[in-house]
Amino acid sequence: MDFEPRYTAEQEAFRTEVQSWLAENIPGGIRHPADSADLTFEQYQLRRELGRRLGDKGWLWPTAPQEYGGGGLTVDHSVVLEEEIDGYNLSLPPYYDSGGRLGGNSILVWGSEEQKQEFLPKIFKGEIRTWQLLTEPEAGSDLANAKAAARRDGDDYVINGQKVYVGSAHGSDYMWTITCTDPEGDRHQNLSWFMVPSDLPGISVFPMDLLSSAGESGAGSGVKNIVYFDNVRVPARNLIGGENEGWKVATTHLELEHGTGGKIGRNWIVDRLFDYCKTNNRRGQPLSKDPDVRDRLVDIYIDAEIGRLFQLRNYWMRHSGASIAYEGPQASYFRKQSGLRIATGILDILGPAALTKDAQWGAGEGHIESHQRAAIIALHPGGTTDIQKVIMARRIGIGRQQRERAGALA
Amino acid sequence: MDLALTEEQEMLKAAVRRFVDTEYPKDVLLEMSATGQTAPSAPWSKLTATGWLGIIIPAEYGGEGGSFTDAGVLFEELGRGPVPGPHFSSGVLGALAILEAGTEEQKRAILPDVAAGRRTIALAVTEADYQWDEADVQTVAVADGDGYRISGSKVFVFDAAATTDLICAVRTENRQHVGLALVPADAPGVSIRRLEGFAWNLSEVRLDGVQVARSAVLGGRFAGGWAALERAVAAAIPLLCAYQVGGSQQVYEMSVDYSRTRIQFGTPIGRFQRVQDHIINLVNELDAARWTTYEALWKLDTERAAADSIHLAKAVSSVAYYNACNHAHEVHAGVGSTTEYGLTLHTTASRTLYQFLGDPKYHRRRLADALDL
Repeated sequence: MDFEPRYTAEQEAFRTEVQSWLAENIPGGIRHPADSADLTFEQYQLRRELGRRLGDKGWLWPTAPQEYGGGGLTVDHSVVLEEEIDGYNLSLPPYYDSGGRLGGNSILVWGSEEQKQEFLPKIFKGEIRTWQLLTEPEAGSDLANAKAAARRDGDDYVINGQKVYVGSAHGSDYMWTITCTDPEGDRHQNLSWFMVPSDLPGISVFPMDLLSSAGESGAGSGVKNIVYFDNVRVPARNLIGGENEGWKVATTHLELEHGTGGKIGRNWIVDRLFDYCKTNNRRGQPLSKDPDVRDRLVDIYIDAEIGRLFQLRNYWMRHSGASIAYEGPQASYFRKQSGLRIATGILDILGPAALTKDAQWGAGEGHIESHQRAAIIALHPGGTTDIQKVIMARRIGIGRQQRERAGALA
Repeated sequence: MDLALTEEQEMLKAAVRRFVDTEYPKDVLLEMSATGQTAPSAPWSKLTATGWLGIIIPAEYGGEGGSFTDAGVLFEELGRGPVPGPHFSSGVLGALAILEAGTEEQKRAILPDVAAGRRTIALAVTEADYQWDEADVQTVAVADGDGYRISGSKVFVFDAAATTDLICAVRTENRQHVGLALVPADAPGVSIRRLEGFAWNLSEVRLDGVQVARSAVLGGRFAGGWAALERAVAAAIPLLCAYQVGGSQQVYEMSVDYSRTRIQFGTPIGRFQRVQDHIINLVNELDAARWTTYEALWKLDTERAAADSIHLAKAVSSVAYYNACNHAHEVHAGVGSTTEYGLTLHTTASRTLYQFLGDPKYHRRRLADALDL
């Protein structure tokens, strides 16, 4: 076993190349607000600019196929890139984008050759940013109950309906969505999956007022929106996977969203907390020397380490072609539950200082306060903790008569 | 990065699995549990013949010279039994203590016998103030002629009733040092009493003026003995964790199978989400133990600083095996409580291993130290 990437001389040379490229190409003036809701449009534009530069090099989605605009690089190269950009407190991509990670994979698996040529290079080169439109007021955990209607009319489909908890701040270029194309049809057999240009007439977007929309650490989406479709005409060639075949297209991105993708990385909030406790004194000694605080820090550390190892395992399984069963939703479930436990631990350690972003009395430059909110909101995106458990049970082979298989991935 | 076992490790895993299934079937394990007789025994003789007791002993001392991860594979499979006997106590703890503390002469004299199972060792460290700290060692070695007389009381000694020798932590007469002495279990003045009840293979060891030669002191002197023991215990811990992982894996599979076949209310109970919750909690504990353990083994194999991972793995694995059994009891209800079903073999092991070589609280404290908090 080897828990670290082992780099060849060629990959170490690649690291040197990446380091000097990043030093030259990361735009000046990039800031990291504690709450991604505070990311300005100017800051977003700087990140998009970096994304396009990375995309030109094939480094935005390093392992995506080269023929469709990805980097075509090995996992180890991709890890080098992620490690180096992490040094700038950025990740790949350096902004919220559902397309490269989730929707693009569905197009790779289920799209026609023509559709792959049309959509994937734009995604993988960072030319467009896409949102996912899945949840509806009556289709939350029960996503297959989607009611947004798409009706065939000549060479177009006409979409009407409402999607909620969508996207991010500062708009999108494309929206991919799941719609109902056969209201009388059987469950899972009546849905269709579309790539929708965001500038079509009849689409309106309204930001939601939420406790938080940030991820627990790293780049959050900033804002979530309600999107209304009012007789939106979408060309039929933007239907991916065929009419009433939308659910199987969705199983691919849902599989990834349920934690199967894995990742390599550190827990930024834990790093910040440890730094804070070692460098801030209470009653004449560092906070970290208090026996109760040490106890809580160890709780937090153990949770963070288990979460890291689950993600690392999934990352390896995904890229080594190992057969995945329940591990995706397990990592997702653990991340959500442990995230809330970590927030509780932080509140125990820091008290009211964890609850304010006040420059004088808050902790961790506002990141701690933001995390207190984000850890709660993180319980539901990509499936609630209960849904993750339902999927785990099916994959373990106890939830249903037949053991459920994982969704197909590219 | 590669989290797969090597082909050789997969073969070892399959071989140990076959061995455990054949030599330690449930009726044998139940018999051993009822009588307390683990070694010597017929399956134990076969286990010693495999050479696996020498898996981490270097080839120059008669062992297999395997890696820690190789040994992890072995102990994970033994844990599935759970196979009792001093395989871990002797082949890992005892062997590592001699490798860390012994003179070259002692290594050559003792380790080949340990690898072959001709001699077996238990580690007698803890006393009335039951902790894994040097300060708690009060057993004393008094100089006497060419050797020493050892007196004191060791308690909660794991596997002592099944071994030929004991490595005892002893304090010098001037109280300056704690060192290690190798004492034959049948030496005059040694009395071993099994502790009955829910304890698993734990004994009290009384040492009443036990006469040992100067050559019985590991390393030829007491100074430095405790530090060597700490290094040995640290390196041994992830293999005990692997055993706990194997036990957790076994009770997980038992629980999944049972929830698929047990019919209540006209349906397999695994279809009930309340029952699924137990199994999901169980597999989450299991996988946390597995990956913290394997990362610690990898750090040992690659000579990385491993203290944080070792304490993490023991804190997590002890809780995992303990909770895995609890979840399995929730799934199995009455059936799990019958001795003949076999779950209680694990439940019993999980309690003693929870605290053996330091309980979770102790390792969490050590983890905080290792993290430089």
